[in-house]
This record gives sequence, structure tokens and C-alpha cells, in this order.
Amino acid sequence: MQNAGILNSLVKSIVEGDKEQTLDSISRALQSGLSIKEILEDGIVKGAEEVGGLYEKSEIYLPELLLAGTAMTAAVDSLKTHLRESTDKYSKGIILIGTPEGDIHSIGKDIIGTLLRAQGYDVIDLGTDVLPSVFVEKAKEIKPQVIGLSGLMTITLTKMQEIIILLREANIDSKIILGGGIITEKFCTMAGADDYATDGWDGIKKIKKLIELKTQEGT
Amino acid sequence: MGIKADRVPFFALVLEQMITRIAGINVRTLYSSPKIYANASIMAHEFFNVDAIALPTCVPSPIEGLAFAEANNKPDVIKWFDYAPIFIKQGEICKTEEDIEKLEIPDHNKIKLWKTTFEASKIIIDKLKFPQATGAGIWSVVQQLRGAQAYKDIKENPELLSLLCEKIYQSNLDIYRCWTENVGPVPIIFYLGYAFNKTIMSFQDAMKFEGQYIKRLQKELKTPIILHNCGMKPYFKEVCAEIDFLAINGSNPADINYWIDFKKQFPKVTIMGANIDVSRELFTGDPAEVEEKVKENILNLAPGGRYMVSPICELPFNVPLPNVLAIPQAIEKYGHYPIKQS
Repeated sequence: MQNAGILNSLVKSIVEGDKEQTLDSISRALQSGLSIKEILEDGIVKGAEEVGGLYEKSEIYLPELLLAGTAMTAAVDSLKTHLRESTDKYSKGIILIGTPEGDIHSIGKDIIGTLLRAQGYDVIDLGTDVLPSVFVEKAKEIKPQVIGLSGLMTITLTKMQEIIILLREANIDSKIILGGGIITEKFCTMAGADDYATDGWDGIKKIKKLIELKTQEGT
Repeated sequence: MGIKADRVPFFALVLEQMITRIAGINVRTLYSSPKIYANASIMAHEFFNVDAIALPTCVPSPIEGLAFAEANNKPDVIKWFDYAPIFIKQGEICKTEEDIEKLEIPDHNKIKLWKTTFEASKIIIDKLKFPQATGAGIWSVVQQLRGAQAYKDIKENPELLSLLCEKIYQSNLDIYRCWTENVGPVPIIFYLGYAFNKTIMSFQDAMKFEGQYIKRLQKELKTPIILHNCGMKPYFKEVCAEIDFLAINGSNPADINYWIDFKKQFPKVTIMGANIDVSRELFTGDPAEVEEKVKENILNLAPGGRYMVSPICELPFNVPLPNVLAIPQAIEKYGHYPIKQS
């Protein structure tokens, strides 16, 4: 009962974007004997899902989402210091993200990166204005389950197509998701991507599903 | 204004991407002289048969970020592309609280690209006898200067954010002053109202960090305003209930019924756009699909006037040209008044 109360408190502090309260809840959770996995899944991830639900219903907006992300990141960083060396790999999946060459918009991508890391995913962010070859080389190196291409301008769509072609030619079988308000289902199909999202939270849900799919496929 | 058109007008944002493509030059060359800038812009607008012409840099989006970068001695944040607009690395100019407190407001008479814009606008007015408008916008510039931190500021540090917005507002007034001095009277203000998006912030916050400045501009300048918003979920109805606009310019939502209802609710506001988006039919479709979309818009929104066909946002270089040319062709076919409902 006490543990349930602590986890509820953690969820609440994340939803409210209260970093100090979140860290306090993490501390109490660890002291009460809850495992890292329980704190992450039943506290942080649950908090993230509640935040996402509120965002989807337009009950909160980007400011609240970002503050929740800050609280979650602080929580995960705090948990990492308690992981023993032998079990310091707690990753639910590897995701490579970036904004293609010619586009320097980053807000949506940054939000997704923050929120996914906070939920236990390894996110490698190549930044903005990224050459297609850089996506390919990094994907060969880290073998991500999912590659996310983010963009805000229609001009970026052509670069996304080019990157997908190069990735497939290099036999990289990561799932590919396209992100940004300009992406349509028709373009996603044309470009050969596996899915698309028009806002950050939609992207997070779909990335998680793609990772599950990769796990089921055994690759 | 006040003139009845014999057909539905065609308005398009023919900016750097298309101007460079049609004129066969890159952006550096485009901006190198007022004459080249004006002539290339005229060439591109005439190629597409657009009824209005405005220069890409007449509105304070990337160019205003450039102005703040130069005024605050941070030229390294300016990113040039060969065939795309200039961009400013987001969040670099106002990274810290101190950056905002010490932020210098540009004198637009001293910013080279603005001076080129003023001169190019005068050339266009002389050649085409078509008045040239300038623009304004707060949140479009906030995003450039402060980046994602601006969204956190809304909750964590609203006073600091308000200070930044006030400086950008003063910069908007300076643009207006310099435009009037160098080009002539401003007939219309093209306002980039990017805060008014349901995916970004609450309507209340949008009024605080964008809307109140529009109201101040109206009071101070008494110039009609067109609201531009290319966002996915704009607060068009909500903001038009609070602020009087001459026109709105947007492409979402995609449901034509929203626009039919908008026209009934706000009969005095001209719709420039409705649901024609450059990333939908224009990009992935063909001329026949574009014609159908334009026809749908005209038949539903043009009767009674106060409607312009307008794809949003700027025409990107990778949109098939036949798709864009299908628009004036469709207007010629369906857009003469009185509109035939068949």
C-alpha cells in the first residue's frame, strides 16, 4: 500500500512537471525497496502515459509536456546512479533520430528524444541538417531498431526519400518512421517508410509499437 | 480593397525555393542586389500566374532572426542554403536570461538584407504599380531566438518570456517605421501567428504571447492585418472571435466543412487558402487531383466573394510544377463570377 502511494506520488509529480517532487519520490521509492524496473515501469512510464493522454485530449500542451519531460529525465538520471555496474544496461531499445539535410527545425525531435530517454530507451540524436550518409553510417554502427526522420518543411520530404533509399541499399533493416506536420499517409507509403506521426506524442506511441514489432520479428 | 474581382484571385507564397528554381539562381545571388531580387521574384510570380506579389523577406520570419543575429553580433547562427530560405539555429541568440535582458533591437535601416528588401519592393511598385506589404509576428521570432526553452518559459518564467516578446514587438514596429520611410505607406500587414496552434499552447497563452501584440499593433498602426498560420490545428475561429482580421491564410483543418462553417460565422473575414496544402495534393497528387481540390474550394467558399485560392505554405521546390500550374487553370475553369454550381 505504501509502495503504491509512493508510485502514485511519482506519477503525479511527473504529470505536474515538478522536478523537485519527482526526485523526492524517486528517493522515497528506492528507500522503500522498490526495484529500478518497478519505479521505471509503474512510476515513470505510467507518468509519461498519463501526460501523453492529457496532451492528446488537448488538456495540456507543449509547455507541460516539456516540463514533464524534464522531470522524467531527472528521474531516469537519478535512477541510473543507483544501477549496479553489472546491470547498467537497462535499455528498452535503440532509436536513431535526426532532421535531414536542409532543415534545421528541432523542437519536435527534441521532445521525442527527451520523452523516450525518460522511459528507458537509448536515443541517439544526430541533430539537424544531417547528411544522408551520416544516417547510414550511424545506423550501420549502432543498429537501431527504429530510425526516425523529422522535418517541418515540404522540401525535407525529398531528403527523407533519399535517406530511406540509401538505408535500404545498405541493407539496414531498422523500422523507419517519419515525423512532422507535413507527413501524410500517402507520402509515407510512397517513400517506403514503416509509419509516420504528425506530432510528438503520436510519434512516441508509434516508435514503441515499431520496437515491439522488431522484437517479435526477432531482429 | 473594395474592388470586386471578376474571378477568384490566386494567392501563393512564392518564396526562395521557387524563385531560385524558376529564375535559375541560388539564394546568395537572389539577395545580392535589389534589381536581381525584384526581377527574379516578378519572373516567378508571373510564371505561376499569381495575382499578388510579395517578397519572401518582407515578413519577419527567418530574416528577422538574421536581423537580431547581426544586431547582437552573432553571425555564426545564420545558416545559408543554396535553394532554401536562410535559417537561424534555434535557441542560440537568446540562450540565457542575460541574453534576453541584453538583447539589442535591430535598426532595420542598418541590416543589409532588409535594405535590399526595401529597394526591391520599390522596384516592384514602380514596375507593376502593385502595393507592397510588410509583415509582423512575435512567436515565429521567439522560436528562432529562444528555441524549445520558450515553451518551458511559458510556465517557468513568463516574465522573462514577456520581456523577449516585448523586444520582438518593438522590432516589429521598427520594421514598420523603416518600411514606411523607405518604401511607402503599408497597405496591409501579413502577420505570422504561429502561437495560435492547438498542438503548441493553450489559447489563453497564445493570446498572452501573440494575440495581445496583434491588438497593440492594430491600435498603434491602424493597418488591416492578414493572419497567416500554416499549423496543423490552428485556433482560427477562436482568434477571429477576439481580434478583427481582414483575412486569414491557412490550410488546416483539411475538412471543407470547417471552412464552410467559418465563412458563415465570420462573413467579413476573407479566406485565403481553406484546405489546399503544399504537402498534400500538390506534392503527392497530380494535376487532376489539384483541380478537384481547387474546384471543391471554389464551389463551397467563393460565392459571395471574400475567398482566394491559396496553397499553404510556401511553394517548395520539390512540388511538381504541373500541379501548381493546375491551380490558375482550375480557377479559369471554375472561378469566374457568378460561380456556376455544377
